[in-house]
Amino acid sequence: MRYGRFRKIRNGRARDFSFLLSLAVLPAVTSGGSPTYEEAVAPILERHCVECHRTDARKGDLDLSSAEGLLRGGESGPVLRAGEPDQSLLVEMIENGEMPKKGDPPTDAEREILRDWIAGGARFRNRPRLADDPPHQHEILPIFLLRCTACHGAQPRDGGLDLRTVASLKKGGLNGPAFVPGDPDASPLIQRIESEACPPQALLLKRFVKRPPESEITTLREWIAAGAPEIDIAADAASGKPDPLVSEEDRRHWAFQPPRPRPGPGSIDGFIGRRLAAAGLDFSPEADRDTLIRRAHLDLLGMPPTVREWHHWRENPDPEWFARMIDQLLVSPHYGERWGRYWLDLAGYADSEGGTSADPLRLVAWKYRDYVIAAFNDDKPYDEFLLEQIAGDELIDVEKAEEITGEMVENLVATGFLRMGIDETGSRTMNFVENRVGVVADAINVLGSAVMGLTLECARCHSHKYDPVPQRDYYRLKAIFQGALDEHDWLSFRNRTLEIGTPEHRARIAATNPPLETERKQLETLLRKKTVQWQREILRSHYPHQSEEDREATFTALKRADNTRSLEQRRLVEKLQTALVIPPHQQPDSVRRARAEVDSLEHEIAEISARMEPPLAIRALWDRGEPSPTYLYRRGVPTSPGPLVGPGVPSVLTDGRTPFEIQPPFPGGTPKTGRRLAFARWLTRPDHPLTARVMANRIWVHHFGRGLVASPENFGRQSEPPSHPALLDWLAVTFVDRGWSVKEMHRLVMNSRTWKQSSRTSEAHLERDPDNRLFSRMPLRRMDAEALRDSLLFVSGRLDPTAGGPPDRVAGNREGFLHAVAGPGGNWRRSVYLQYRRTEVPTLMETFDYPEMGPNCVSRNVSTVSPQSLALLNNERIRELAASLASRIEATEPAERIKAAYAFALSREPTREERDLGIAALAELEAGWPDHPAGALEAYCHALLNSAAFLYVD
Amino acid sequence: MKRRDFFARTSDGLLGAAFAHLFTADLPASEAPAGWEPPIDLEPRKGHHPARAKSVIQLFMNGGPSQMDLFDPKPLLRKYDGQPFPGDIESIGNSNPTDIGVVMGGQFEFRRHGKCGMWMADPLPHLAELADDLCLVNSMWTDHPNHDNALYKIHSGRLFMGHPTLGSWTVYGLGSENRNLPAYVVLNDPLGLPKNGTRNWTSGFLPPTFQGTPLRPTGSPLLNLEPRYEEPDAVRVSARALLRQLDEIHRRDRPHAPDLDARIESYELAGRMQLSAGEALDITRESETTRHLYGIGDRETDSYGRRCLLARRLVERGVRFVQIFLEEQPWDSHADLGANHRAICHRTDKPVAGLIRDLKQRGLLDSTLVLWGGEFGRTPTTQKVGSAYTGRDHNMQAFTTLMAGGGIRGGTTYGKTDDFGHAVVEDPVSVHDFHATVLHLLGLDPWKLFHLRSGLEERLTGFEEPKIVEGILA
Repeated sequence: MRYGRFRKIRNGRARDFSFLLSLAVLPAVTSGGSPTYEEAVAPILERHCVECHRTDARKGDLDLSSAEGLLRGGESGPVLRAGEPDQSLLVEMIENGEMPKKGDPPTDAEREILRDWIAGGARFRNRPRLADDPPHQHEILPIFLLRCTACHGAQPRDGGLDLRTVASLKKGGLNGPAFVPGDPDASPLIQRIESEACPPQALLLKRFVKRPPESEITTLREWIAAGAPEIDIAADAASGKPDPLVSEEDRRHWAFQPPRPRPGPGSIDGFIGRRLAAAGLDFSPEADRDTLIRRAHLDLLGMPPTVREWHHWRENPDPEWFARMIDQLLVSPHYGERWGRYWLDLAGYADSEGGTSADPLRLVAWKYRDYVIAAFNDDKPYDEFLLEQIAGDELIDVEKAEEITGEMVENLVATGFLRMGIDETGSRTMNFVENRVGVVADAINVLGSAVMGLTLECARCHSHKYDPVPQRDYYRLKAIFQGALDEHDWLSFRNRTLEIGTPEHRARIAATNPPLETERKQLETLLRKKTVQWQREILRSHYPHQSEEDREATFTALKRADNTRSLEQRRLVEKLQTALVIPPHQQPDSVRRARAEVDSLEHEIAEISARMEPPLAIRALWDRGEPSPTYLYRRGVPTSPGPLVGPGVPSVLTDGRTPFEIQPPFPGGTPKTGRRLAFARWLTRPDHPLTARVMANRIWVHHFGRGLVASPENFGRQSEPPSHPALLDWLAVTFVDRGWSVKEMHRLVMNSRTWKQSSRTSEAHLERDPDNRLFSRMPLRRMDAEALRDSLLFVSGRLDPTAGGPPDRVAGNREGFLHAVAGPGGNWRRSVYLQYRRTEVPTLMETFDYPEMGPNCVSRNVSTVSPQSLALLNNERIRELAASLASRIEATEPAERIKAAYAFALSREPTREERDLGIAALAELEAGWPDHPAGALEAYCHALLNSAAFLYVD
Repeated sequence: MKRRDFFARTSDGLLGAAFAHLFTADLPASEAPAGWEPPIDLEPRKGHHPARAKSVIQLFMNGGPSQMDLFDPKPLLRKYDGQPFPGDIESIGNSNPTDIGVVMGGQFEFRRHGKCGMWMADPLPHLAELADDLCLVNSMWTDHPNHDNALYKIHSGRLFMGHPTLGSWTVYGLGSENRNLPAYVVLNDPLGLPKNGTRNWTSGFLPPTFQGTPLRPTGSPLLNLEPRYEEPDAVRVSARALLRQLDEIHRRDRPHAPDLDARIESYELAGRMQLSAGEALDITRESETTRHLYGIGDRETDSYGRRCLLARRLVERGVRFVQIFLEEQPWDSHADLGANHRAICHRTDKPVAGLIRDLKQRGLLDSTLVLWGGEFGRTPTTQKVGSAYTGRDHNMQAFTTLMAGGGIRGGTTYGKTDDFGHAVVEDPVSVHDFHATVLHLLGLDPWKLFHLRSGLEERLTGFEEPKIVEGILA
């Protein structure tokens, strides 16, 4: 594919470097006509631009204080295009109001001068000689990486040729050197590219390369013609010198300063109370005991208490009952299922790759899910948790290990964190460098928004508009991941899983799986046969006059891709489909019988699969020790490489004058760069300005419905400042002091007076704290999708508490309604264990705001829409749960049933009014359904499960 | 939002005729907002400038109809029929170039139609009669030759999933003028979902309030609209009354809780939908003449005709955005293009023309924008499938979109492609431009319509200011 020619048409402008040449041929000195740079333009730039774009503070890496800087351009590339003011970034940025960021904008007259000057050819009195320098190795190596190393790189190395470095280029391959210095025409590499022998036609789509455009070939020619010059420039990384792109002022933003313990009240209630008092408010009264019990259970476990637990705590005489209850909840294995799920949102967990319609399943993603749940249950210190997820492969030298331990496996599973994003590069057509760079960008996004509280995505294409993150820093961060996520040495889907397991695990597989595997294969063959039988039965019963040949032709047609079917084949398939969508109860018995056979086989296969030992495969990320160099991509486009950058962290989070230290982790062992390990260690430093603050804030968000910082994913300069900065810092410092223990934070928060407040809103609240920014009460909150579904299952006695393992299947009908398939016992597991294929999110979950992971979800919507009401009122599965709840209650004396229903569903006693209402309603319902005595209680329970009292947590 | 006592009403009986006035509860748009607040609900809103169209009906032609066989005649193709493509073979398409094969001549006869002399091929006789009301944009182009990505692009302006669609942005910007029906409705083929399924109407990162609501093509039109279990009416009435009272008690104890008001409102709308969706979707209320106009009752056209007629009934009731899909991707003719295209034209031509005529005769065409088109076009060359060369591959570099109604200049043919119909050579219209033009006609400024997401301003039309296709505006 060649897009070059077309690109010009569609943009109406070609963004390449050819204009540099057009500048070069302009006369350096002219007389008459339009004004020159020195006379007319320099003063305007001086007045409006140079404050930010000057030699020692180059915003956007742009220096407009000299003619040379103006010609060189910035990180977005050149800013001038001689003769074409409309195509010049300089004019564009000013005229669309983007620039200047500070001070007065240029006057109309000044803008006119700029336009005229560019339109007149951008003349200089003394034009610096800039464009005449021949290209150097860092201009040609990116071309080889993009166009050639797919065949001539680390793997494969066709013809023995490696084009990744100048040295190996000079050495050449089996056929000798790749080029002749000084003579492009005689150089094999130029000849092969220009004759289109390379890259070979047949491999373009196989190895995902595109041919170089003319401009790149010109660059290669110029470089060879000039004798293949190399210049000595180090990769742009933090050094001992002050950073010109990020200033001390930039570093002064509160979130870029380490959190510091400040003199103050030293407790949550102290900080909150101080602000309440200042606003003329006091804490709301403590919520009643029933409310606290239900709130705590839902908060920590995502499910209400059992009736027994509720009784236990409400009648507990211990004055410390509440603290004890929290301790007990924190050891429940359900805790990790609730709080781990929050982390899975941040990681962008999904059981499929996404990006293409096929949306292939990620068969072992669940191992990462189980890792996260276990980490929360074990209260793994947060710094370790991050270390394992970011650099688990660099902690222990697994490749050189004598025996694989559980810890090694766990560390590698943890790195799945950086492999959770949408990944379309397994597709036949979407594994080009730009697709791969997109996958890397997602990983950086996840890390930025989940862990660092920074929106880094902007800086991929240009320096961040609002935060002091130059584009260079984004690519330094990208270089951190280059050892594992290398767009020029990309692991295919097939070889990016590791087959690693402990000896015990291997033994279990060998003992359990082979016979089951055989059985499954047999059943699958049978299933295919039965499916055809079922379809044949459909055709027979709905089209009795169809010929047997046409029926068989239908099955042949089904085997072809739908877009390659002939019209006749399409007609046949359509006939079948028309009959297939007729609902089961309208199908003849013979069809239903045939379908039942298919269903039972599918069920059997699922059961056998469930009995099998999980495979060894791990979806991991690991450093391969040989990263390609990292070049900044101008405007984020891999075909516009800029300067070489080295690994590093955002300068604004450092002092800006200390090099970033990286050590290979296993001297004498497996070669690895150690870049991610260094990064993870930096990230988990106790004095890191963001890490502890961001996590402390997130914990707060989930306890209180809003954060101390309102945007948990963004602590940058665009974010609203924290409502309680001193409290946030105190929490962050305390978090680190208590060993990064998340459970300690829960204890701290939940035992506070602040958390125990009632949720009632008073007139005083409305007047003085309408948005609850001061936390003058507990907000009333709707359960999220998981809590709702899990609670419905739990109170109706239909929850299967089995934890972990492969996700539960989701099935759908042709109208697009998707639901979880019940387990062998007819019950369902918790929502975290369902299969979340990106294209098949269970409908109930989606209706209650289960998010689209793109690439992750930093905070969920809470919508209140009528499809939610319709689902809870009318869906037959919800009704079934109501019936189950009713059957639990039926055992009690009729007089006690209302009480029992409240105990199960709402963990409290009904008020007198509610009891009277219930008795009256039951009588009315019974009267309305005389032939179905159980129906009344079922309808009553259904109403209770629909009620706001059930759905909302006080 | 004002709270209405829905349950008090419904306890009189769900199907009480007393609520007939609710069925078409058109609400006046609120005054133009002073500053742009991100919308959170479906209250009707004024756009940024006076609108030319109030609603959109998008007749989505999934799979990619062949522009050179239907709208954009290329006589040269027949001259080269069966011969190798004379240009750069690599520039043709996405399949393996070795399979590209040879040029395929136009499959149908073209004639000029209407006063404007618009070209249209013979499988579209009914549309051809409306030439003076139609606008052909022959210079559309997109960014990706794969169905999935091109579908994401044409619906959401991005090549990947997770972004809100044109319909979502529209109701985000304008809300709805009917409180009893969803603002953004999707009508699917009874035969099945289109390629990419529900992602063709996702609200992406916008709140789910703005996502398309598919009306089910068979049975109850909305998921869970009717109870999917048995229960006597009397029990249902009592149970709803019980729920209302439970919620009354709950709410009474919790003053100043807007969430609870919103919840009660959502149960209200659910109830109203249960009532009015049935009425809106009941096409038996239409006259025989009208039904005939859409081809309802004829085997081939019945299914698509019903959906076109439904679309009219919906926009008539203030629904903002209606999408009609075909099952999977019938236009995608890699093989047997002539016969396949003729069949699908036959299924859709009369219903589409009937819809435009009907809108016109009811005075609705001026305020309804009708869009007809797919995610990309097809190549001048043919690919080998099996042993024969009978179809065309995907072409992202040129395709045709047809527009009519609200603010569009009828009788217009816009843009030019090269002599093979392979690439645009004049007046290119990108997908962003296309979206910008639709928003513009709806009274929305594509640049002012954005959503803040992690500090980034997200727009339907991307990061650069799009251009509105002035040449097709009335």
